[in-house]
Amino acid sequence: MEVLLLKKERLNGFIEKLQQDFEVIAPLKGDVIRFLPLKNPDDIFLGKNAYFPIKEYFFKKNEVLFQFNGTKIIVPELPSKKRAFFGLRRCDLNAIKHQDMVFMNDIHDPYYTAARKDSYLIGYHCNTAPSPYCFCGSLELADYFDLMVYDKKDDFLVEIGSSKGKGMAKKYASLFSKTSKKISEEEKKIPGSDRLEKKDISLFYNNSDWKKGTDLCLSCGACTALCPTCYCFETHDEVKTSNINEGERKRNWSSCQLQEFTRVAGEHVYRKDREERFKHRIFHQLEYFKEKHKVPLCVGCGRCIEGCPTRIDFVDILNNMKVENG
Amino acid sequence: MGKLKVGVYGITGCAGCQLSVIFNEDEILDIVELVDLRAFPFIKEVNPEEEFDCVIVEGLVADRGDLKTLKMLRRNSKMLVSLGACACTGCVPAYRSFTLKENYEHLLYRKMEEIKDVEPTPLDAHILVDHYIPGCPPEKKEILSFIKGLVRGSIPRPYQSPVCVECRQNGNTCLLDQGKPCLGPITAGGCHAVCINGGFECWGCRGPTEDMNLDLMVRMLRDRGFDDKFINDRLRTFAGLKLPMLEKVMSGKAHKTETTFRGVRVFYE
Ligand code: SF4
Ligand code: SF4
Ligand code: SF4
Ligand code: SF4
Ligand code: SF4
Repeated sequence: MEVLLLKKERLNGFIEKLQQDFEVIAPLKGDVIRFLPLKNPDDIFLGKNAYFPIKEYFFKKNEVLFQFNGTKIIVPELPSKKRAFFGLRRCDLNAIKHQDMVFMNDIHDPYYTAARKDSYLIGYHCNTAPSPYCFCGSLELADYFDLMVYDKKDDFLVEIGSSKGKGMAKKYASLFSKTSKKISEEEKKIPGSDRLEKKDISLFYNNSDWKKGTDLCLSCGACTALCPTCYCFETHDEVKTSNINEGERKRNWSSCQLQEFTRVAGEHVYRKDREERFKHRIFHQLEYFKEKHKVPLCVGCGRCIEGCPTRIDFVDILNNMKVENG
Repeated sequence: MGKLKVGVYGITGCAGCQLSVIFNEDEILDIVELVDLRAFPFIKEVNPEEEFDCVIVEGLVADRGDLKTLKMLRRNSKMLVSLGACACTGCVPAYRSFTLKENYEHLLYRKMEEIKDVEPTPLDAHILVDHYIPGCPPEKKEILSFIKGLVRGSIPRPYQSPVCVECRQNGNTCLLDQGKPCLGPITAGGCHAVCINGGFECWGCRGPTEDMNLDLMVRMLRDRGFDDKFINDRLRTFAGLKLPMLEKVMSGKAHKTETTFRGVRVFYE
C-alpha cells in the first residue's frame, strides 16, 4: 500500500486541515482517556489507548429506531455527518471492522450505516503495547483503515488503506512528502501484545478453572459496555402520556452478562447461572463469532479486563487451563 | 370500557414518593385524562375507598393503623403496587429492626403502644404485591410508564439489572476503583445511575438484584478497607430486610445467594 511521509511538526497542521473539513474525534485525556470531539490539536493524547471504546459513535448507547402513531410508523431522518476519527489503534479499527460485518454486511442496519458512512478512520499504530492488558497480537487482526499513522522516531509514515484515504492524501498533499519507504508485515506486529496462548478453547467449556472468573464476577456488564466489539441491544417502547398510541421505539446497549438478556415470557431465563453467562461472553468473543465470520470477534484491546471492577483476566484463566480428565 | 380506577395512598413514609407522582407536572393533567384518579388523599379532598383497579402505595407498615389501611386497600383493589423504597424494601424506617430499642425509644413521637407489636416491614411482608416501583425517591418517569402500561395492558418489566449497566453506559468511571463503597453491582438499576452521575456512590435504594454476588460485594468492600460495622450499616440502610442472609455471608457461612424483590427465593449455603 502506498506510504507517505509526514514531518512530525506538521501533524498539528494536518489535524487543523482535517478540522476545516470534518468534525474530528480524537483521544483526549481527562479523568481517563476518551474519544471526544477535538477542539485544540494539542490536546490529543496518544500515550495510551482510550478507556472507553469508539463504538458509541456508530452503535449508539440509546437511539430512537422509529416513531409510531397507531399503526403508522415514521422512521427518523438519519443524517450522516462528515467525521474524521484520529488516533484509532489497530484493535479499535478491527473492532469497527467486526461491527461493520454485523451491522452492514450481515444485515443492513440503517442507523449504524448512517453514522458510519461518512466517517473517516485514521489510525495510530502502537509501537509497543501501551497497556499490560493488550493481546491484539494473539488475534487475527487485519489492516482496516483509511489512513494509518506510524510513529517512526523522526517522522510519521502514513499508509493509505482505502479510496477514502487516498482522497484525503490528495486533498492535503501539500503536507505530505513522498517516500520510498514501505511498511512491512513485520513492522505491523506489536511487541508485547501476544499474551493469549493459542489453544482450542472448545475443549475447555466444562473446565473447572472458569470458577476463578465467576467467583470474581458481579455480572455488572462493565466488560461488554467497554468492549469495542460487543453489539448486543434491547428494544422497548415509550409512549406519550397525552396519547398512549403514539410513541417511540428505542434501543439500548445490552449485555449477555445479565439475566435480563435471556429472560423470556414466563420468566424463564436461559442463561441463569453466572458461569454460563461469563463463558458465553468469552466463547462468543473467541469461538462463536469465528464459526460464522472466520475471525474471532475479540480484538484483544483488554478493555474488558482493565474496566472490570475485579480485573478478571480471562486471558490468564485461559492460558492456565489444562485439559481435565473425565 | 370506562377508565381504570386508580388510587394513590401513603402509609408511614415521608410523602416524597407521592410527590414524585405529582412532580410529573407537565403530564399530570394527561394522567387524569387517562385514568380515573379517584383517590389521592395527599392532594384530593374526596377519596372514595372502594373498587379500585389499582392502588399505588407509598410507605411501610410501621404501626397497627398502617396494617389496617394496607389490608383494606388490598381488599378493595384488583392490583396493588409498592411505590418507593419504604414500600418495596423497608428502607430507613425498617432500620429499627437492626438496632436496640434503647437507641430509638426516646426519639419516638408516637406512643410505643401503637408500634410495639408491629415490626417495621415492607408491604410484601403482609400482603401480595403485584408490582414494584422502587427507589428513594422513585423515578417519576417510571411511575408514568407504569400508569401508561396499565392502561395499555402492558406493564413494563421491572428493571432487574444492576446500577452498573446504566452507570457505564453513561460513561462514568467506576467509583470502586477510587476506593468508594459503591453498591451498584448488587443494586437493581433503572435510576439512570443518578447518584454516580453526580459523583456519589450507590447506597442501594432500589433494592438487591435477583442474582447479586453479595459475597463478592462484601469481599470488595473489605478489600477497600471498610470494617464490618460500616458494611452492615451501609447494606442495611435501604434494603436490610431484603438481605436476611447478610449475617451468614459476612461470617463466611454462605456464599451463593439469590433474592427477588419479594424477599429471599433461593438461598444456598
Ligand atoms: S491491543 Fe494492540 S492495538 Fe490495541 S492498544 Fe493494545 S497494543 Fe495497541
Ligand atoms: S466487568 Fe467483570 S465483574 Fe462485571 S460482568 Fe464483566 S467480568 Fe463480571
Ligand atoms: S472481549 Fe475484551 S479484549 Fe476482546 S475486544 Fe472486547 S474488550 Fe477488547
Ligand atoms: S459477548 Fe455478549 S454482549 Fe458481547 S456481543 Fe457477544 S453476546 Fe453480545
Ligand atoms: S460506580 Fe458503582 S454503579 Fe458505577 S460501575 Fe462502579 S460499582 Fe457500578
